Amino acid sequence: MLALAACCANMGAPAWASPGAPAAHVARVLAVRDDGRLHYIHSSGNEIIDEGHATGTLPGSVRAYFTYDGEPTVSASFQISGPGWSISGHGTGRLSNPNSTSPSFRGSLTLSGGSGRYAHAHGSGEMFGVYYRRSYALTVQTIGSLHY
Amino acid sequence: MALAVWACAPATAYGGQSASLHVGLTPERLGGETTLSLGFQVNASAGAIPSPLTAIDLHMPRNLGIATSGLGVATCQVATLEAHGASACPANSRMGSGSALVRFQVGPELFTETARIAVVAGPEQDGHVRMLVSATGESPVAARILISTVLLAGQLQISVPLVESLPEGGDIAVVAVQASLGGNLVYHERSHGRTISYRPHGITLPASCPRGGFGFSATFSFLDGTQAQARTAVACPGGASRAPVARLSPSR
Repeated sequence: MLALAACCANMGAPAWASPGAPAAHVARVLAVRDDGRLHYIHSSGNEIIDEGHATGTLPGSVRAYFTYDGEPTVSASFQISGPGWSISGHGTGRLSNPNSTSPSFRGSLTLSGGSGRYAHAHGSGEMFGVYYRRSYALTVQTIGSLHY
Repeated sequence: MALAVWACAPATAYGGQSASLHVGLTPERLGGETTLSLGFQVNASAGAIPSPLTAIDLHMPRNLGIATSGLGVATCQVATLEAHGASACPANSRMGSGSALVRFQVGPELFTETARIAVVAGPEQDGHVRMLVSATGESPVAARILISTVLLAGQLQISVPLVESLPEGGDIAVVAVQASLGGNLVYHERSHGRTISYRPHGITLPASCPRGGFGFSATFSFLDGTQAQARTAVACPGGASRAPVARLSPSR
């Protein structure tokens, strides 16, 4: 499970453009810090699909595919969407206390694409979350850098 | 109406023992919750008592939702289970039940005993979910066997301890086990100052069924150093494979 949420806090955005190249894209960097609260939608085998909202630097709706197969490492892919844009990513983390009602996890995430203003999105960060075994809900906090 | 699908396959003997594996998924509805029933039988040549079982390595579909089930949301300590049995464990630690058949020999006489099985969640092991299987027999030998089972991706590693029967007898040999994970369990939780009961999520089946059905296999290891292997498959619902359900997200 994992989570997803998106990120960031706009922290300055150094921009650059390749000298001499067509000015088609100016890269920006955004410091992201987001929280996500996701509820259960569907499951298939060891994959749980959750949806919800993220608040923070990049507020939007979130859909996550959380996978836990018994190994301590859990993984999730996710997409966060706002008006006219989306960002996709993937995360892995280590689950603690797997027999508890709400195991927590912590790990890293990678942002790997998007659409709209974030069509060139990439980045990385950390994620922290809780997986609620009764409801299959997820809460996630993410901190990272988004290049777009 | 619940639909039960069972599969059973013959075994291959690599020593003095052979084994067969039985698996059931009830109900078998793709993407739905199910109760997983696992059983095996160990046979020795010429009807003799088989060598005591020491380990079982069970392989199953990796995407079977055992880890993501809501089963076992409390932990039963090994010492509690050993001393007092599963009834002393938290209700929320119970994951399943079943029965076992054991045999042992005292002098020239062969004894058979039936034991009750309880499956509870135990303390984690290196970050993995650990299940404790308590097999309790009362007569002719009062004994409790504690079997530790670790859940890995697509695998259950089961360690079976050696248990002496009587002072002048040999070790007890487990010859058959039938156990279920999930089923009719009731858990309790506190909510807004009240205790409420609920039925935990069972094991979720994948939304698609592989060609040939859901495959299971097991390697049984015995005290005499031999092994036996068995495999089986639970046929897909309706007898055919199903295509994966289309994903809704472009990120996948």
